[in-house]
Amino acid sequence: MNVVAIIILILSWFFIIFGMVAIFSLKNMYARILSSTTIDTVASFLVLFALMFVSGSFIFIVRFIILIIFLLITNPISSHVNIRSAYLSGIPIKEEGESK
Amino acid sequence: MTTIQLFLLITMMLLVLGIIASFVRMIKGPRLWDRILMLNLISAKVVLIIAIYAIYMDSLTLLDIAISYGIIGFLTMTLLSKFIMTGGREK
Repeated sequence: MNVVAIIILILSWFFIIFGMVAIFSLKNMYARILSSTTIDTVASFLVLFALMFVSGSFIFIVRFIILIIFLLITNPISSHVNIRSAYLSGIPIKEEGESK
Repeated sequence: MTTIQLFLLITMMLLVLGIIASFVRMIKGPRLWDRILMLNLISAKVVLIIAIYAIYMDSLTLLDIAISYGIIGFLTMTLLSKFIMTGGREK
């Protein structure tokens, strides 16, 4: 059981590092919001899934399933609310000085 | 210290590095929505740190704290975005 957990944890490190890179490297605001929230959702899902293998008892696993369902629902919703708030407040999707 | 505890410690260190990077971006973010996004990311990472620490110390109470902290972070983010969308226009 611990070997599976270690493999999933190592897989989750890449997503955490990619999320840190995506915050700084992207120039457009909408791309930054979209990519960082998506990568962060996958990273949190992987970490909680690995912790489910580490803890053997049933009462821990129930809490982890609740936490996974909650994060998978609310993290994209909050990203969507953020983007909608930015778009309705008049931020253009393409910035002026952007060549891409 | 067993092997799995070492890996949990490394994961916690990476998450703290992510929080520090988000905080730097929060300070120098050009717009208001960047700062709100960083608030969301920091709250998600703090939930993960509390959950990992609950396994690390083998206590069930910290997991309940993680769930309630997640609810508080989601409500903060959503209500702040709604408030800015209706009341705080840029013009």
